[in-house]
Amino acid sequence: MDVFTLSLWALRIGFVLLIYAFFVVVARALWRDLRAGVAGAGRPLARLLVVGSPEGRPQAGTSIALDAVNSLGRDVNNSIVLDDSFVSADHALLTFRGRAWYVEDRGSTNGTWLNGQRVEGMAPLGYGDEVQIGQVRMRLERARPE
Amino acid sequence: MSALDPNERRLTRALYRAGIRPHFRWRELRLLLVVAICLTVGWVSLESFRQGQIAIGDAALLAVYLVALGVIHVAFVVTGRRMDQILFPTAGLLAGISLLVMNRLPQNLVVQQVGGMELPLGPLQLVWILLGFSLLAAIAIFVRSDGWLRRYKYTWAAAGIALLLLVFVFGSVVGGARLTLHIGPFSGQPSELLKVILVVFLAGYLAENRALLSSGTTRVGTFTLPPLPYLLPMLAMWGIALAIVIVQRDLGAALLYFLVFLGLLYVATRRAMYVLYGIILFLVGGALLYVLFTHVQDRINIWIDPFADPQGAGYQVIRALYAFGRGGILGTGLGAGLPSVGDVPSIPAIHTDFVFAAIAEEMGMLGALAVLGLYLVIAERGFRIAAAAADDFRALLATGLTLVIVVQAAIIAGGNLRVLPLTGVTLPFISYGGSSLLVNGAVIGLLLALSDRGVEAPPPGVRPNAVVRAAQRARAVGGRIEEALS
Amino acid sequence: MTGPRVALQKLRLHLRPRLQTHGATPALPGGLPSGPPRVSRSLLPLTLALAVAYAALAGGLAYWQVVQAQALTADPLNPLSLAAARSAPRGTIYDANGIVLASNVRGPNGERLRQYSYTIAAPVIGYSSATFGTAALERAYDAQLTGLVSLNPGDELLRKFRGQPYDPSDLHLSLDIQLQRVAADLLGDQTGAIVAIEPATGRILALVSSPTYNPNRVVDPNDGRQYMAGLQARDDSPLLDRATQGLYVPGSVFKIVTSIAALGSGAITPQTTYPDQPAELQTGFLVDGFRIHDFPRTVQTDHPLDYAEALEVSSNIWFAHAGLDTGAQNLTDWAARLGFGARIPFDLPTSPSQVTGGNGSLDGFQDRVELANAAYGQGEVLVTPLQMALVASTIADNGALMRPSLVDSLTASDGSVTRLEPQTWLQVCSFETAQIIRSAMQQAVEGEFAVAAAAKVPGVPTAGKSGTAQVGPNVAPHSWFIGYAPADAPRIAVAVIVENGGLGSQRAVPIGGRLMSAYLGVLR
Repeated sequence: MDVFTLSLWALRIGFVLLIYAFFVVVARALWRDLRAGVAGAGRPLARLLVVGSPEGRPQAGTSIALDAVNSLGRDVNNSIVLDDSFVSADHALLTFRGRAWYVEDRGSTNGTWLNGQRVEGMAPLGYGDEVQIGQVRMRLERARPE
Repeated sequence: MSALDPNERRLTRALYRAGIRPHFRWRELRLLLVVAICLTVGWVSLESFRQGQIAIGDAALLAVYLVALGVIHVAFVVTGRRMDQILFPTAGLLAGISLLVMNRLPQNLVVQQVGGMELPLGPLQLVWILLGFSLLAAIAIFVRSDGWLRRYKYTWAAAGIALLLLVFVFGSVVGGARLTLHIGPFSGQPSELLKVILVVFLAGYLAENRALLSSGTTRVGTFTLPPLPYLLPMLAMWGIALAIVIVQRDLGAALLYFLVFLGLLYVATRRAMYVLYGIILFLVGGALLYVLFTHVQDRINIWIDPFADPQGAGYQVIRALYAFGRGGILGTGLGAGLPSVGDVPSIPAIHTDFVFAAIAEEMGMLGALAVLGLYLVIAERGFRIAAAAADDFRALLATGLTLVIVVQAAIIAGGNLRVLPLTGVTLPFISYGGSSLLVNGAVIGLLLALSDRGVEAPPPGVRPNAVVRAAQRARAVGGRIEEALS
Repeated sequence: MTGPRVALQKLRLHLRPRLQTHGATPALPGGLPSGPPRVSRSLLPLTLALAVAYAALAGGLAYWQVVQAQALTADPLNPLSLAAARSAPRGTIYDANGIVLASNVRGPNGERLRQYSYTIAAPVIGYSSATFGTAALERAYDAQLTGLVSLNPGDELLRKFRGQPYDPSDLHLSLDIQLQRVAADLLGDQTGAIVAIEPATGRILALVSSPTYNPNRVVDPNDGRQYMAGLQARDDSPLLDRATQGLYVPGSVFKIVTSIAALGSGAITPQTTYPDQPAELQTGFLVDGFRIHDFPRTVQTDHPLDYAEALEVSSNIWFAHAGLDTGAQNLTDWAARLGFGARIPFDLPTSPSQVTGGNGSLDGFQDRVELANAAYGQGEVLVTPLQMALVASTIADNGALMRPSLVDSLTASDGSVTRLEPQTWLQVCSFETAQIIRSAMQQAVEGEFAVAAAAKVPGVPTAGKSGTAQVGPNVAPHSWFIGYAPADAPRIAVAVIVENGGLGSQRAVPIGGRLMSAYLGVLR
């Protein structure tokens, strides 16, 4: 058995083993995600506080926990259902992108309003800003009071 | 993210001054490094075997590919997208294995004229991989809203069916199946594209109606059926797609569509009964097809006993089994398998339908298991993206896109292994073929876009320009078409 | 197996906390009915289904690449054997005494050709030709001769690391080419077959089929095709290995099988007599309207024959009685214990021998007439010479049937030797039953009225049984002999058939005797 044959086989087996090395690196990443996920589980990114809702669905004073992407509208498939007569079925999208929140109108009839101004396309918003959808007024707040 | 090291902070500051807000992807970089080392070792083992000494040979193809992976990685970093970091290297490893295998197979299997240059199999596959990955990167970077998929689901469905009809009328027959569409100098297999369109439609429709589908019922005697009015358009869509596919004799695609449909239906409604009905439907349909169509009978008969006609119908399957047997646990090593008689490979269609057998022969059972494992990594990431998606459409879309890749890989690997009847679909990212690589690139691109946790706040002062206004106008037109269709 | 499974387990572990996170998401505000469960909750069963599917794929890989790998690689249709034949010389085939039977030479155009030193060994060795593939032992041991498969499974992994992946083995046969030569000369240009076995081990000592072909001409690249076409056109089927695949009516040699069944099942004892039998010599034995006669040469005795005497004079009438007493079920069952009704596991392809056509109502027999005829080897009985040699060998080995084998050992290129040890295939009958038949068979050669006297090996106790198989009106019967010697400590068992050779005692019996004499080193 000569050196060349042995090294050729080392290369061949090394090639396959390196694919498994890829799995090991992936598994390590997953394991870290898992631990981070457990540590941060259940903590919402922010809250929407309902400050005004004449029809009472949802009631004023309700605090809604937010995910990274939240769809708002009257349809039951939305992550936040606003059962107000002036809200469209799929009304708006509230997303957290990196370090800022954005609100996006989804072609609603009555529009999405940010601090009293109608939102065209996508608009950034900060904590304390007020979003109005139909007759429902909501304020973006931090998840934990600081 | 919080603990930036000094170098990174300095780099970040410099980029910020240039108006760029990067988001570093160290995990992806690390994985890409493993991919690069792995592929280089594979390449050296192949070239060494060919030349009879340790050599790297002309590694231009590999170099171009690895540089392309790096460029895409940098593009992701610079644009600051916060996407999944594992999917892209996984696809990169699969396509890299493809590059090695295609470079190793007889180069005259496919030769195409590209602008006066004759490209054989290996370089041609590289071109397709690069195009597919460019599409992947473009979608991952530029797609920021899924509205265009979500809103126009019926338009998509109609476009899909139109595409199929187009193939049915104008398609050319290759190998007994009418799959290929020629438009000018281009040719492609629309069934690859259709699978994505189908997923988009199903995700949109199910997301909209899933509340009703999972709670409402229609009673027929003792059977509890889903609310029929809501299921009908979907069943019709599925039926039409299936029927056309069967007329085209593309059984693999039909099986794939059906399994993805069942999977999505279950995920959307969480009702095992629907899956059961689906399987019954499938068995009845399968029996019917078996009775009616000789090409279905042939496939099943070959599956049950390929040795009945070893030189004829069972030829490919038997040759594939020999390849598996030759490989054994460790494989013959890249380049050392497949004694081609003359310049003819031992299995026909080894670069498309039977590429899994080629891999299993040269990389052994260990290598083949690793390749299967890579698809499972894609499944894990895809389902994670689905689980983390905030709304149903995104979740279903991510699930469907994942299923399309993972189920397709299982169908063709199963066909090679005689676990399933052989049907001609491609092994995603590995089989030779432009349509397949482009579409699968788009699928991974969409998954990446769906996994996006948002870009860094864009530099201020962006106003709608002409392009944005044009897009808004197009959206309005699309809305009207959609209304008319639904 | 483990790769995907482990990955999946991780996947499942990994998905769970996510799912819980979402499950814990607060319900919708405002007391509205909450929507359907989160999509993410249904992902776990879907993941499980995928896990099952991929586990099946992993199972498929393991099946073809580990369990079936060797069988697939050894398959003669595998193109790998062609490639191997190009890159490495085939192993050499030797006889029991180390005489080369098959080796490699260079053909006129520089290609590798097989050369066969003894054309009389063609039915055993076959050929390996670029045009016609392989036959006989060249086919059965193709993988070992080309070196695709080594006999030691542990070698398979290590073999990958050798520069030359093919490791051709040499075959060492049990065949004695000198005995083969004697047997072929004895048969001459008569059509027929001879099988000689070592009873204690099942080793085949000689296996002749006549007429045969010249394998050197089959592999000849220039006129191979023409020669083969000529062979295939001939009426006397020289390509057929009569010894293992020829099916013949056995006639009286089948009485040994009947004896085993009758004695083994207890239907007769050595003392059994049939009082009507002497009278029936004249009138014939009437079975349901069919008259069974004995040959006129059967010695006239006034007393009823016992078992040994009946075998000595080969009385059809006596064995017809015995067969009817034994019954259809017993006869087929005991024959099956000798290997009837199934292919004999052997290195060469074999045809299954039969006691009856098998579609009658009487346990396969049409009626009692067929059963009575079968008992003395007529009726629908069809046997291969190999099967009959195994019958003789079983009696010689006191009821144990050794698995017939042609290959003693394989020698790998590194000199390592793999021996194929003798294996008992079937335990047919008890020692006592075999003893009764042994003494009767010795009497059938050495007794006062022995029909098979011509088989006697001078100075050596000899046992045997002749047979004259009627194959139709106006056609000479097949001439049969089975036997073994020395009768007290058997070293060789033989079966001889000469197609249409006439009376057993005149053709086959002397051939058997001379063959055994030659093997035992006794000159006549």
